[in-house]
Amino acid sequence: MKKTNVTIEEVRRLAALSALEFSEEELQAFVPEFENILELVDQVKNCDVSDVEVQYSSHKLSQLRSDIAKDSLPQEEILLNSPKTKKGSFCVPKMLD
Amino acid sequence: MNFENMSLIELASLIQEQKVSSVEVTKYFIDKCVEKQNLNAILEIFDDAISQAEEMDKKIKNGFKGKLAGVPVIIKDNILYKGKKASCSSKFLENYVAQYNSTVVDHMLKEGAIILGRANMDEFAMGSSTENSAFVTTLNALDPTRVPGGSSGGSACAVAAGLCPVALGTDTGGSIRQPASYNGVVGIKPTYGRVSRYGVVAFASSLEQVGPITKNVKDNAYMLSVLAGGSENDETSLKIDVPDFLSYIKDNIKGMKIAVLKEVEEVVKGLDVEKTYHDVIKFLSNNGAEIINASIPDFTLTLPCYYIIAPAEATSNLGRFDGVKYSRRSQSATNIDDIYLKSRSEGFGKEVKRRIMLGNFVLSSGYFDAYYNKAKKLQQKLKLEASKVFSVCDAIILPTTTGEAFKIGEKVNDPISMYKEDLFTILANVLGVPSISIPCGKGKNNLPFGIQIIANNLNEGIIYDIANFIEKEYRG
Repeated sequence: MKKTNVTIEEVRRLAALSALEFSEEELQAFVPEFENILELVDQVKNCDVSDVEVQYSSHKLSQLRSDIAKDSLPQEEILLNSPKTKKGSFCVPKMLD
Repeated sequence: MNFENMSLIELASLIQEQKVSSVEVTKYFIDKCVEKQNLNAILEIFDDAISQAEEMDKKIKNGFKGKLAGVPVIIKDNILYKGKKASCSSKFLENYVAQYNSTVVDHMLKEGAIILGRANMDEFAMGSSTENSAFVTTLNALDPTRVPGGSSGGSACAVAAGLCPVALGTDTGGSIRQPASYNGVVGIKPTYGRVSRYGVVAFASSLEQVGPITKNVKDNAYMLSVLAGGSENDETSLKIDVPDFLSYIKDNIKGMKIAVLKEVEEVVKGLDVEKTYHDVIKFLSNNGAEIINASIPDFTLTLPCYYIIAPAEATSNLGRFDGVKYSRRSQSATNIDDIYLKSRSEGFGKEVKRRIMLGNFVLSSGYFDAYYNKAKKLQQKLKLEASKVFSVCDAIILPTTTGEAFKIGEKVNDPISMYKEDLFTILANVLGVPSISIPCGKGKNNLPFGIQIIANNLNEGIIYDIANFIEKEYRG
């Protein structure tokens, strides 16, 4: 099977989608690395699955609980792990002028 | 007393009968953790372990009974224990403190366990050697020049090195069984849903399970009976009665039908593990098991199938780490976009970033059908193929790994070679079925091989029965 080519533009697009920053060198290094990984996962393309229905919930075991409201964790506790909070809220830099 | 050579069941019984105190046992294992800290198996010994043990000793004196009364347990660093750090061995969550208990921790505390500390792992459970931990690389308990396996490498090493009688791991693609194999201990990935994942930091939610790592099969069965059981906080967990898994161990495998997969026979040719694998099959056959030649035609596609589904789920699960809610925010971020970009870029390690990128690739427009949809259909096809095998067989036998533990540094810069570590273990995750790894024989470096027994959904009992039979022979 023909090896899938990966372009540097494709890598840049994925980095943006992933909210990750890389140096130019790291981006370049991703190209051959990604091609090798795609060579592995491209094997699924050879498999005939035309007679199979896709099931996103893969294990037919899910059970729902009754829809009854319960106490949740206190707000102060939830915020304890946040790097910055203010008056019971998550705090981020100004977003709107 | 030398507690490290005792089984979990023996130790639990000694403490329950007040022949030794929990404090004595807990101090003993803390001393072991300190004495063997060069192994880098443990990230933190919890500072209240002794006071927990003192409290438990009082309770036992007052009549408390529990399967783990006073027994110290080590948990993997992605399992939440209220008030303690759970970092997933990531810089991102270095200072994250759990605000609630995972269901498995609650189950253990209810039975009287002492939660001793947290074990090193590959960052966010992505890896097969613990070399992806942001903090330290754990050493193999049997050969310090080699990896302990991963991602639950700290947990497996801790049990093998006698730092605790039992440890918890998580298994998304082999992360309990492969390190168990490399350290010569026993690890099970239970049926998907058998153990609640509530309070376990998610990597690939549809594939992973928590499970025990122990010195022997009976301890493992004993421990799974504590961990198992659904939780209303995890809708994928099964709300069914938990059996006493020990009661399935009958010491008789006559008439048991055990499948050998044609596809595995081909892959195993020439591998270090080949002879041991065939020896175990012969041993089972000589003792009355019926060996059935079977086939899962798409077996070799389990690896690519997994490396599409798992990164896709990982990219979604790790989206929550945005520099706002959890633990880390980049000091150099000045606006909201920077907070996302810089916090994630500084906080995640190389393999985690690689998998997030791969996940976004297989989910992105133009590729979704060709990769993610195809892999999900393939997963369904594999389940159909496996159900045919399970309709005539009680279990499937497979090696756990291709050979003995590899050298530290040997595969760290070769992701494909590292991914192929999961060749034999991924099947059980993709199918959702339970699978155990037990130590069987040794290789040319005198290090252990692991053999897997896989059974159909909820048949952990059959697995333990066969595994115990094999263990009696191979433990010598």
